[in-house]
Amino acid sequence: MEWFSFCAKNNTMQLYELKNIDHRYNNRTVLRIGQWQTRLHSIIGLAGPNGSGKSTMLRLLGFVERPWQGSIRFCGNTANGRYTTLRRQVALLPQASHLLKRSVYRNIAYGLAARKDVQHLTDRIHNVMQWVGLPPAAFAQRPWFALSGGEARRAALAARLVLRPQVLLLDEPTASVDEASNQLIKEAILKVHHEWKTTLVICSHDIQWLQDICNGVVYLFRGRIAGTNQPTLIFGPWKLRQDGRWAKKMTENQYFIAAAAAGHSREAVAAISSNNLTIKSKINTDNSKRCSLKGTLTRLNMNKATGRINARVTVGKNTFSVELTPEQVCTTEFYPGRRIWLEYNPEDVCWYE
Amino acid sequence: MDFIVQGLVKAFELLFNGDSETYSAISTTLRVSSGSMAASLVLGLPAGFALGHFHFPGKRYVRLIVDTLLALPTVFIGLLVYALICRKGPAGHMGLLFSIPGIGIGQSILALPIIIALSATAVESADRNLRVTLLSLGAGRHQILLTSLWEVRHGILAAALTAYGRVMTEVGISMMVGGNIKWQTRTITTAIALETGKGMFATGIALGLILLLIAFFVNGMVFFLRQK
Repeated sequence: MEWFSFCAKNNTMQLYELKNIDHRYNNRTVLRIGQWQTRLHSIIGLAGPNGSGKSTMLRLLGFVERPWQGSIRFCGNTANGRYTTLRRQVALLPQASHLLKRSVYRNIAYGLAARKDVQHLTDRIHNVMQWVGLPPAAFAQRPWFALSGGEARRAALAARLVLRPQVLLLDEPTASVDEASNQLIKEAILKVHHEWKTTLVICSHDIQWLQDICNGVVYLFRGRIAGTNQPTLIFGPWKLRQDGRWAKKMTENQYFIAAAAAGHSREAVAAISSNNLTIKSKINTDNSKRCSLKGTLTRLNMNKATGRINARVTVGKNTFSVELTPEQVCTTEFYPGRRIWLEYNPEDVCWYE
Repeated sequence: MDFIVQGLVKAFELLFNGDSETYSAISTTLRVSSGSMAASLVLGLPAGFALGHFHFPGKRYVRLIVDTLLALPTVFIGLLVYALICRKGPAGHMGLLFSIPGIGIGQSILALPIIIALSATAVESADRNLRVTLLSLGAGRHQILLTSLWEVRHGILAAALTAYGRVMTEVGISMMVGGNIKWQTRTITTAIALETGKGMFATGIALGLILLLIAFFVNGMVFFLRQK
């Protein structure tokens, strides 16, 4: 606890610092992070497709697993040899919210009992049950098997909130829950963030949901950090052109062109960040270095954290994510359904094997 | 057919008339089987948890050995324990031959692989997320062990019942190590063997029915506990 008290007094201090992380299962690398850090009292989102390493990263941040190689620093101190202590300062809500075979009340009490922290137990448990929308009178004595998916998820969340953790790690907190549960979960986690200054690290497929509540979103792909701007992934097969660049057919007469990179195969995955894409109402013929694709603007979302607008542009079966300023949207009259031109530099394309 | 009916009638007579020889055999059976079950649960549950929960080199081979030991013949265990505790054996000075603790050692050896194998299977079949859940809630090592066992309590109960059934109904160990001494080491099963050998089928059937009644009573208690 001393670490965290010191950390809490220094708001500028990094909460987590990951360095040269190489995590493996059965000798296969599932997560490789050169360097990553996050500040105290922030809300960080982790986004990415299945198998990108989000859950693995959360388990490392929750000190549930130790990295195969590399170091994790928590509040400026190395985590080595302190996993049991550190585990009690953070709370991880795993993707599959496993409830113990006992009543909701006893499920929520488990973590406190494990810490031998049982003062005002009932009041604390009833309090968090209210926060997650499970009235104690109706739910406290209900057995684990008599809960719906959304109720079980909220009971599992309450079991973490009651611990009053310094860091709350949430793995797909709203997966497979209805709109009402989604809202209750969102309200409960934002409440603990505001009242207790709890740092939140949330991983989700729902980028819009993350952008709504997070200060920043980190995108992962194939076990690596792909940046803080939403990337568009373009999957193979790729065709090598005569000029040495690679092409992927988008529509009958349109190809996505990517600059060549050493050693990648026809089935490699290309990624282009949303800040490397621009949209225009007319084709730009002046800049020969840039490529253009004609598509349809399908959606405009506001990223609350950055104040920027995220536009979704569909070209054939691919959907590109583009960042715009609110002024751009107003002055150029971009609206969903409009046909527009997507521009990018092939040199900005990154490759993943 | 008559002797079966006579056996049924005799069973009630032996029980309700308070036949001291029968009650001595029942008492010996219950004492020795309960003792051996307690010993095998104390040793077998942590071992079964470790086998089901942890991953370590050679785990598959350990599992293979434990599974093989499920088929241990009782007479072979009886022979081994006899060799161990007879006057010439390494533990001969302890005077365990033809005693209840001697039978208990043999029955514990019989029950141990059953407890280990079945509790390991129960722990393995527990939700894979259980460990992560317990760690994320701040559970320590002992708490993980105890909570995991509690979570698979129905599987553990099944393991204990299976082992109890095997221990209570075995003849080989009790006969070889206990010596079937009247008032001392005679269990229900050795008494059945003796009575059948003497041609007293009705008494044998009566003792068999009493054994079934005990099994029914034990299972009834477990059934009641499972509903709790």
